[in-house]
Amino acid sequence: MTMVAPGAKAELAIEDDGPIPYMQRTRDYYLALGYGNPYRWARFDEVPFTPLRTPLNRARVALITTAAPYQPEAGNQEPGAPYNAAAKFYQVYSIPSESVPDLRISHVGYDRKHSSAADIHAYFPLARMKDAAAAGRIGSLGPRVHGAPTNRSHRATETDAEELLRRCREDRAEAAVLVPS
Amino acid sequence: MCHQTVSLVARHLEEQGIPTVIMGCAKDIVEHCGVPRFLFSDFPLGNSAGRPLDAESQTRTLELALRVLESAPAARTTVQSPQRWNGVASWKRDYLDLAKLSPDSIAERRKEFDEVKTIARAKREGS
Repeated sequence: MTMVAPGAKAELAIEDDGPIPYMQRTRDYYLALGYGNPYRWARFDEVPFTPLRTPLNRARVALITTAAPYQPEAGNQEPGAPYNAAAKFYQVYSIPSESVPDLRISHVGYDRKHSSAADIHAYFPLARMKDAAAAGRIGSLGPRVHGAPTNRSHRATETDAEELLRRCREDRAEAAVLVPS
Repeated sequence: MCHQTVSLVARHLEEQGIPTVIMGCAKDIVEHCGVPRFLFSDFPLGNSAGRPLDAESQTRTLELALRVLESAPAARTTVQSPQRWNGVASWKRDYLDLAKLSPDSIAERRKEFDEVKTIARAKREGS
Protein backbone atom coordinates (compact mmCIF):
# COMPACT_ATOMS: atom_id res chain seq x y z
CA MET A 1 0.00 0.00 0.00
CA THR A 2 1.31 3.42 -0.96
CA MET A 3 0.92 6.18 1.55
CA VAL A 4 1.50 9.88 1.27
CA ALA A 5 3.74 11.00 4.10
CA PRO A 6 1.79 13.28 6.45
CA GLY A 7 3.84 16.37 5.66
CA ALA A 8 3.12 20.03 6.27
CA LYS A 9 2.16 20.55 2.64
CA ALA A 10 -0.72 18.09 2.77
CA GLU A 11 -2.04 19.65 5.98
CA LEU A 12 -1.91 23.12 4.47
CA ALA A 13 -3.91 21.98 1.47
CA ILE A 14 -6.65 20.68 3.76
CA GLU A 15 -6.67 23.82 5.91
CA ASP A 16 -6.98 26.04 2.85
CA ASP A 17 -9.93 24.15 1.47
CA GLY A 18 -12.75 25.84 3.37
CA PRO A 19 -14.90 28.61 1.92
CA ILE A 20 -12.86 31.78 1.28
CA PRO A 21 -13.32 34.34 4.12
CA TYR A 22 -14.14 37.23 1.80
CA MET A 23 -15.02 39.74 4.50
CA GLN A 24 -11.69 39.19 6.28
CA ARG A 25 -9.71 39.28 3.03
CA THR A 26 -11.41 42.50 1.98
CA ARG A 27 -10.84 44.11 5.37
CA ASP A 28 -7.14 43.16 5.41
CA TYR A 29 -6.66 44.22 1.81
CA TYR A 30 -8.07 47.72 2.15
CA LEU A 31 -6.32 48.26 5.47
CA ALA A 32 -3.06 47.33 3.75
CA LEU A 33 -3.84 49.81 0.99
CA GLY A 34 -4.10 52.47 3.68
CA TYR A 35 -7.84 52.89 4.03
CA GLY A 36 -9.06 52.98 7.62
CA ASN A 37 -12.61 52.53 8.81
CA PRO A 38 -13.31 49.02 7.45
CA TYR A 39 -16.58 48.42 5.63
CA ARG A 40 -19.48 47.27 7.79
CA TRP A 41 -21.21 44.37 6.11
CA ALA A 42 -24.94 44.05 6.63
CA ARG A 43 -25.90 41.75 9.48
CA PHE A 44 -29.23 40.88 11.09
CA ASP A 45 -30.26 38.71 14.01
CA GLU A 46 -33.72 38.03 12.66
CA VAL A 47 -34.17 36.31 9.31
CA PRO A 48 -37.58 36.27 7.60
CA PHE A 49 -38.98 33.06 6.14
CA THR A 50 -41.95 32.49 3.85
CA PRO A 51 -42.76 28.87 3.01
CA LEU A 52 -43.32 28.06 -0.67
CA ARG A 53 -47.11 27.79 -0.89
CA THR A 54 -47.46 26.83 -4.56
CA PRO A 55 -45.80 23.61 -5.70
CA LEU A 56 -42.79 24.56 -7.80
CA ASN A 57 -44.15 22.83 -10.90
CA ARG A 58 -47.05 25.28 -10.84
CA ALA A 59 -45.21 28.33 -9.52
CA ARG A 60 -44.10 31.39 -11.45
CA VAL A 61 -40.48 32.02 -10.57
CA ALA A 62 -38.65 35.35 -10.92
CA LEU A 63 -34.95 35.65 -11.75
CA ILE A 64 -32.95 38.51 -10.22
CA THR A 65 -29.36 39.21 -11.23
CA THR A 66 -26.59 41.69 -10.41
CA ALA A 67 -25.09 41.42 -13.90
CA ALA A 68 -25.12 44.60 -16.00
CA PRO A 69 -26.56 45.16 -19.47
CA TYR A 70 -23.74 45.72 -21.96
CA GLN A 71 -23.20 49.46 -22.52
CA PRO A 72 -21.27 50.10 -25.76
CA GLU A 73 -20.11 53.54 -24.57
CA ALA A 74 -18.80 52.33 -21.19
CA GLY A 75 -15.42 50.90 -22.07
CA ASN A 76 -14.03 47.39 -21.84
CA GLN A 77 -16.63 44.89 -20.61
CA GLU A 78 -15.16 41.84 -22.35
CA PRO A 79 -14.50 38.61 -20.46
CA GLY A 80 -11.44 39.15 -18.27
CA ALA A 81 -11.60 42.97 -18.56
CA PRO A 82 -10.20 44.88 -15.57
CA TYR A 83 -12.73 46.16 -13.03
CA ASN A 84 -14.82 48.72 -14.92
CA ALA A 85 -16.70 51.18 -12.71
CA ALA A 86 -18.06 52.99 -15.77
CA ALA A 87 -20.08 49.86 -16.60
CA LYS A 88 -21.95 49.95 -13.29
CA PHE A 89 -25.66 50.77 -13.12
CA TYR A 90 -27.61 52.46 -10.36
CA GLN A 91 -31.23 51.91 -11.35
CA VAL A 92 -33.19 48.66 -11.17
CA TYR A 93 -33.74 47.38 -14.71
CA SER A 94 -36.02 44.75 -16.25
CA ILE A 95 -35.74 42.91 -19.54
CA PRO A 96 -38.10 40.37 -21.15
CA SER A 97 -37.32 36.79 -20.18
CA GLU A 98 -37.98 35.78 -23.77
CA SER A 99 -34.97 37.78 -24.93
CA VAL A 100 -31.37 36.61 -24.92
CA PRO A 101 -29.84 39.49 -22.96
CA ASP A 102 -26.21 40.49 -23.16
CA LEU A 103 -25.28 40.87 -19.50
CA ARG A 104 -21.69 41.39 -18.33
CA ILE A 105 -19.87 41.43 -15.01
CA SER A 106 -16.89 43.71 -15.64
CA HIS A 107 -18.45 46.10 -13.08
CA VAL A 108 -18.00 43.76 -10.10
CA GLY A 109 -15.16 42.06 -8.24
CA TYR A 110 -15.40 38.53 -9.60
CA ASP A 111 -12.34 36.30 -9.46
CA ARG A 112 -10.45 37.50 -12.53
CA LYS A 113 -7.51 35.20 -11.95
CA HIS A 114 -9.43 31.96 -11.90
CA SER A 115 -12.48 32.82 -13.94
CA SER A 116 -12.84 34.63 -17.24
CA ALA A 117 -16.58 35.46 -17.27
CA ALA A 118 -16.57 34.04 -20.79
CA ASP A 119 -19.78 32.06 -20.27
CA ILE A 120 -22.83 34.10 -19.26
CA HIS A 121 -24.56 30.90 -18.10
CA ALA A 122 -22.05 30.55 -15.24
CA TYR A 123 -23.38 33.72 -13.60
CA PHE A 124 -26.81 34.14 -15.17
CA PRO A 125 -28.99 31.01 -15.25
CA LEU A 126 -31.72 32.26 -17.61
CA ALA A 127 -31.15 29.49 -20.16
CA ARG A 128 -31.15 26.83 -17.45
CA MET A 129 -34.33 28.29 -15.96
CA LYS A 130 -35.96 28.15 -19.39
CA ASP A 131 -34.92 24.49 -19.52
CA ALA A 132 -36.52 23.98 -16.09
CA ALA A 133 -39.76 25.62 -17.26
CA ALA A 134 -39.80 23.56 -20.48
CA ALA A 135 -39.28 20.40 -18.45
CA GLY A 136 -42.12 21.28 -16.10
CA ARG A 137 -39.75 21.53 -13.13
CA ILE A 138 -41.03 25.06 -12.48
CA GLY A 139 -44.48 26.25 -13.56
CA SER A 140 -43.11 29.19 -15.50
CA LEU A 141 -40.44 31.82 -15.55
CA GLY A 142 -41.49 35.37 -14.73
CA PRO A 143 -42.08 37.50 -17.84
CA ARG A 144 -39.11 39.73 -16.99
CA VAL A 145 -35.65 39.30 -15.56
CA HIS A 146 -34.78 41.98 -13.02
CA GLY A 147 -31.41 43.62 -12.44
CA ALA A 148 -30.30 44.74 -8.98
CA PRO A 149 -27.68 47.50 -8.72
CA THR A 150 -24.75 46.77 -6.40
CA ASN A 151 -24.07 49.48 -3.86
CA ARG A 152 -21.90 49.87 -0.79
CA SER A 153 -24.79 51.76 0.80
CA HIS A 154 -27.22 49.43 2.58
CA ARG A 155 -29.84 52.14 2.37
CA ALA A 156 -29.56 52.44 -1.42
CA THR A 157 -30.00 48.68 -1.70
CA GLU A 158 -33.05 48.77 0.56
CA THR A 159 -34.63 51.29 -1.80
CA ASP A 160 -33.81 49.07 -4.77
CA ALA A 161 -35.23 46.05 -2.91
CA GLU A 162 -38.57 47.82 -2.61
CA GLU A 163 -38.59 48.49 -6.34
CA LEU A 164 -37.68 44.87 -7.08
CA LEU A 165 -40.53 43.71 -4.84
CA ARG A 166 -42.93 45.97 -6.73
CA ARG A 167 -41.81 44.51 -10.07
CA CYS A 168 -41.99 40.91 -8.82
CA ARG A 169 -45.56 41.57 -7.68
CA GLU A 170 -46.43 43.12 -11.04
CA ASP A 171 -45.12 39.92 -12.62
CA ARG A 172 -47.17 37.83 -10.15
CA ALA A 173 -44.03 35.96 -9.15
CA GLU A 174 -44.59 33.33 -6.47
CA ALA A 175 -40.92 32.71 -5.76
CA ALA A 176 -37.58 34.22 -6.72
CA VAL A 177 -34.10 32.94 -7.58
CA LEU A 178 -31.40 35.54 -6.87
CA VAL A 179 -27.97 35.22 -8.43
CA PRO A 180 -25.02 37.47 -7.53
CA SER A 181 -22.20 37.77 -10.01
CA MET B 1 -21.14 43.69 -2.92
CA CYS B 2 -23.15 41.44 -5.23
CA HIS B 3 -23.68 38.89 -2.49
CA GLN B 4 -24.74 41.50 0.04
CA THR B 5 -27.09 43.09 -2.50
CA VAL B 6 -28.98 39.88 -3.25
CA SER B 7 -29.03 39.02 0.46
CA LEU B 8 -30.76 42.29 1.32
CA VAL B 9 -33.18 41.89 -1.58
CA ALA B 10 -33.99 38.28 -0.67
CA ARG B 11 -34.74 39.34 2.91
CA HIS B 12 -37.08 42.07 1.70
CA LEU B 13 -38.97 39.83 -0.74
CA GLU B 14 -39.31 37.19 1.94
CA GLU B 15 -40.60 39.67 4.53
CA GLN B 16 -43.26 40.62 2.01
CA GLY B 17 -44.33 37.05 1.30
CA ILE B 18 -42.24 35.91 -1.67
CA PRO B 19 -40.04 32.88 -0.96
CA THR B 20 -36.49 33.12 -2.29
CA VAL B 21 -33.31 31.18 -2.84
CA ILE B 22 -29.86 32.67 -3.45
CA MET B 23 -27.30 30.85 -5.60
CA GLY B 24 -23.85 32.16 -4.68
CA CYS B 25 -20.13 31.67 -4.04
CA ALA B 26 -19.43 33.95 -1.03
CA LYS B 27 -20.63 31.93 1.93
CA ASP B 28 -19.43 34.26 4.66
CA ILE B 29 -21.07 37.40 3.27
CA VAL B 30 -24.47 35.76 2.73
CA GLU B 31 -24.52 33.99 6.09
CA HIS B 32 -23.26 37.08 7.92
CA CYS B 33 -26.22 39.03 6.53
CA GLY B 34 -28.67 36.22 7.28
CA VAL B 35 -30.94 34.97 4.50
CA PRO B 36 -33.77 32.45 4.22
CA ARG B 37 -32.27 29.95 1.72
CA PHE B 38 -28.84 29.73 0.15
CA LEU B 39 -27.20 27.31 -2.24
CA PHE B 40 -23.44 27.72 -1.81
CA SER B 41 -21.13 26.69 -4.65
CA ASP B 42 -17.49 26.63 -3.56
CA PHE B 43 -16.35 28.21 -6.84
CA PRO B 44 -14.46 31.42 -7.65
CA LEU B 45 -16.64 34.55 -7.58
CA GLY B 46 -18.44 34.91 -10.88
CA ASN B 47 -19.71 31.34 -11.13
CA SER B 48 -22.81 31.37 -8.96
CA ALA B 49 -24.82 29.45 -11.54
CA GLY B 50 -22.33 26.64 -12.20
CA ARG B 51 -19.08 25.93 -13.95
CA PRO B 52 -18.48 27.89 -17.19
CA LEU B 53 -19.02 26.08 -20.48
CA ASP B 54 -20.48 23.13 -18.57
CA ALA B 55 -24.23 22.92 -19.06
CA GLU B 56 -24.49 19.82 -16.89
CA SER B 57 -22.85 21.59 -13.94
CA GLN B 58 -25.20 24.55 -14.42
CA THR B 59 -28.26 22.31 -14.62
CA ARG B 60 -27.27 20.47 -11.45
CA THR B 61 -26.60 23.75 -9.67
CA LEU B 62 -30.02 25.16 -10.55
CA GLU B 63 -31.75 21.90 -9.66
CA LEU B 64 -30.15 21.92 -6.22
CA ALA B 65 -31.18 25.55 -5.70
CA LEU B 66 -34.77 24.68 -6.61
CA ARG B 67 -34.72 21.82 -4.12
CA VAL B 68 -33.51 24.21 -1.44
CA LEU B 69 -36.32 26.58 -2.38
CA GLU B 70 -38.88 23.78 -2.02
CA SER B 71 -37.63 22.02 1.02
CA ALA B 72 -35.74 24.34 3.38
CA PRO B 73 -37.29 23.77 6.81
CA ALA B 74 -36.42 27.19 8.25
CA ALA B 75 -34.53 30.44 7.68
CA ARG B 76 -30.71 30.40 7.40
CA THR B 77 -30.76 27.15 5.45
CA THR B 78 -27.47 26.78 3.58
CA VAL B 79 -26.81 23.82 1.34
CA GLN B 80 -23.34 23.37 -0.13
CA SER B 81 -23.15 22.02 -3.64
CA PRO B 82 -21.05 18.84 -3.84
CA GLN B 83 -19.40 20.12 -7.02
CA ARG B 84 -15.71 21.02 -6.89
CA TRP B 85 -14.07 23.77 -8.96
CA ASN B 86 -11.13 21.54 -9.79
CA GLY B 87 -8.97 18.95 -8.10
CA VAL B 88 -6.91 21.37 -6.02
CA ALA B 89 -7.94 24.13 -3.66
CA SER B 90 -4.95 26.41 -4.28
CA TRP B 91 -7.11 28.91 -6.22
CA LYS B 92 -8.60 29.94 -2.90
CA ARG B 93 -5.33 31.55 -1.78
CA ASP B 94 -5.20 34.09 -4.58
CA TYR B 95 -8.20 36.36 -4.06
CA LEU B 96 -6.92 39.72 -2.69
CA ASP B 97 -3.76 37.93 -1.59
CA LEU B 98 -1.56 40.48 0.16
CA ALA B 99 1.40 38.12 0.43
CA LYS B 100 2.13 38.55 -3.27
CA LEU B 101 2.08 42.36 -3.25
CA SER B 102 5.21 44.53 -3.00
CA PRO B 103 4.96 48.03 -1.45
CA ASP B 104 5.08 49.48 -4.98
CA SER B 105 2.21 47.38 -6.19
CA ILE B 106 0.20 48.27 -3.07
CA ALA B 107 0.65 51.95 -3.92
CA GLU B 108 -0.38 51.22 -7.50
CA ARG B 109 -3.51 49.36 -6.34
CA ARG B 110 -4.45 52.27 -4.11
CA LYS B 111 -4.13 54.70 -7.00
CA GLU B 112 -6.30 52.46 -9.19
CA PHE B 113 -8.92 52.10 -6.47
CA ASP B 114 -9.13 55.88 -6.00
CA GLU B 115 -9.64 56.29 -9.74
CA VAL B 116 -12.33 53.61 -9.79
CA LYS B 117 -14.16 55.27 -6.90
CA THR B 118 -14.16 58.60 -8.72
CA ILE B 119 -15.62 57.01 -11.87
CA ALA B 120 -18.26 55.11 -9.88
CA ARG B 121 -19.29 58.25 -7.98
CA ALA B 122 -19.69 60.26 -11.19
CA LYS B 123 -21.78 57.49 -12.71
CA ARG B 124 -23.95 57.14 -9.60
CA GLU B 125 -24.58 60.85 -9.35
CA GLY B 126 -25.37 61.03 -13.04
CA SER B 127 -27.97 58.26 -12.92
